[in-house]
Amino acid sequence: MVSAITIATNVLMLGALYSLVAIGFTLIFGVGGVLNLSHGAIITVGAYSAYAVDAATGSIVLGAIAAAVISGAFSLALYKGLISKVRHNPVTVLILTLVVAIVVEQLALVVFGGEELLVPQLLGGSISVLGDSIQANRILVFVLSWVLIGGLFYFVDRTRTGKAILATSMSDKGAALAGIDSEQVYTYTWVLAGALAGLAGLFLASFQTANPLMGRNPLLLSFAIVVLGGLGSIRGSVIGAYLISFLDQMTITFLSERLAGVSALVVLVLVLLVRPKGLFGRELVEE
Amino acid sequence: MSGQTQSDLKSWGDILNPVEMQRHQQVGLLGIVALFVLPLVIPAIYAIYLSSALFFATFVMSWDFVSGYTGEISFGHGLFFGVGGYTSGMLNLHMGIDPWIAAPIGAVAAGIAGLLIGFPSLRVQGPYFSLITLVTPIILISVFRFFPDLTGGELGLVSVGTVEKFSAIGPIPSPGFDPYSGYYLALFVFLLALVIFVAITRSDAGMVLTAIRADEISVAATGKNPAKFKLFAFVLSGLVGGLAGAMYGHSVGGFNVSELLALIISIEVIVAAILGGIGTITGAAIGGLFFYLLRVFMRNIEFTIPVVNVPVGEIYFLLFGIVTLGFLFYLPEGIVPRLVGEWRARSEPQAGEAVADGGKSRGERIVEEWTDDLRELFGGERR
Repeated sequence: MVSAITIATNVLMLGALYSLVAIGFTLIFGVGGVLNLSHGAIITVGAYSAYAVDAATGSIVLGAIAAAVISGAFSLALYKGLISKVRHNPVTVLILTLVVAIVVEQLALVVFGGEELLVPQLLGGSISVLGDSIQANRILVFVLSWVLIGGLFYFVDRTRTGKAILATSMSDKGAALAGIDSEQVYTYTWVLAGALAGLAGLFLASFQTANPLMGRNPLLLSFAIVVLGGLGSIRGSVIGAYLISFLDQMTITFLSERLAGVSALVVLVLVLLVRPKGLFGRELVEE
Repeated sequence: MSGQTQSDLKSWGDILNPVEMQRHQQVGLLGIVALFVLPLVIPAIYAIYLSSALFFATFVMSWDFVSGYTGEISFGHGLFFGVGGYTSGMLNLHMGIDPWIAAPIGAVAAGIAGLLIGFPSLRVQGPYFSLITLVTPIILISVFRFFPDLTGGELGLVSVGTVEKFSAIGPIPSPGFDPYSGYYLALFVFLLALVIFVAITRSDAGMVLTAIRADEISVAATGKNPAKFKLFAFVLSGLVGGLAGAMYGHSVGGFNVSELLALIISIEVIVAAILGGIGTITGAAIGGLFFYLLRVFMRNIEFTIPVVNVPVGEIYFLLFGIVTLGFLFYLPEGIVPRLVGEWRARSEPQAGEAVADGGKSRGERIVEEWTDDLRELFGGERR
């Protein structure tokens, strides 16, 4: 039987981790109206960049920097090269991003092979909490994720660029009237979302393993998270991430390992049918 | 169309007379005749490839009928193939029902699935609906994984027992074991779907479906109920997709997740429809055949790429993804509509028509867009 402490740490840590992924996903949707189905692939890009840099230099800190930088650059290239040209056709965007995700998975498969790769932990050892030992790495991942989430809230609420992002997500016409260059805002958003997803990929790989399909499950959970929290809402994403990771852990622990992720998808379908704008959906939805 | 005068109405004889048809329709007819004759000249292994391609093209048409026409994009059409196929396969495996009877029951089950997926589309729109369709097959796969004794989980029904293939009918050998007989079964399903879908989409009902894609509220304002038409499209698409899935499983294919239900199948179906041309049915049929055969062709290339020293066959799926990406990006309207458009433009030049871009040919325009893109990339201004 899994102890309550283990479940609690899993929920706390995975919730923070999924928040990182979901915030990026929801930012891109909120600002540009784009459902980015290659967001999961960026997680893979981050994990494998960290793996490759760590293997070359022996430093996981450099690997972490690489995960953020390369994923951000990948996300930027994806937006500038493909998505910005077809942004106004939602169907093409959905399909293109899906095909990009498949291409990235295949590329990882060809370059690194299909086996599970071990990415070193950011911090070794373990700490004893109430008689249960918890890997120090998990606690560090939890802390770092929350530092990033906090930084993001500060960025969006306090800085000019962050406010511009928020304004564009509320109404791009209104933002344009206030002199905000929406194209620039889109670019910032994609880089930011990419870097966050890349770091999440590294975190995920540091306590599990890296494999070419590792981005799929977080992406599916992100759907559920952002739909539950309301597409475009950052606060909703964090709360949604915790609800979903709690639900998922409960399902895995008390029902079956084989149902991992399913409860989240069922929630997703139910929320869409009953309350499509989510728990914290924006009041101002522009058509 | 109530405004038609008597002279506009054509009799069936006129419509079906090959001499009177337009060029692209004549080519299409020739293509169908070629499909009938092909097995006489190709080896058995190609007959199997071609039958799979025909089934795949049927899947693509069933997608195009609902998504291409009503504009409700389904990202999980594999659900219908899977429900149709698995229902039929499990009926045979666990209850011993003859495949010839089980397959139509599978089709009906998929039709019901179509109804269940169709209902949310009335409430939830656009990307939200796409999310629902995207996750339903994934949920179904997880349910299958939860009951491996019944469904065989990830591996398919093979791991539970042997599902019977179609038995022979009279003098015709069993389509499950004779490749040529299987080919003609596939061709029958393909043509059945083609005729049904083309007939409906070219009728007034098809016009209503297209109108729903353009503006649902206007359709409702004319007194027609868009919900009814949408549900009809979903049910029929499910029926045909499910029938094809069941027929495929009992003849040339098998009943497993990766052939019927997996996300990748649903995506391939959409990509093939886009390559062929969305909202045309014929484009979807051609796109499906082309796409499937291209994939088989790339998998079988024995060429080794010099610099990286990898055989094409090993990384065919990666290359295939890249080729697809290129097609989607540079030819978003699809192959068939473009070809038909060019034929029409060439055969009936319309004199005195205003031309927005100064009468440049399509080729010139594409080159111009390219150089514009390049210039912008290196920091220049677009013209």
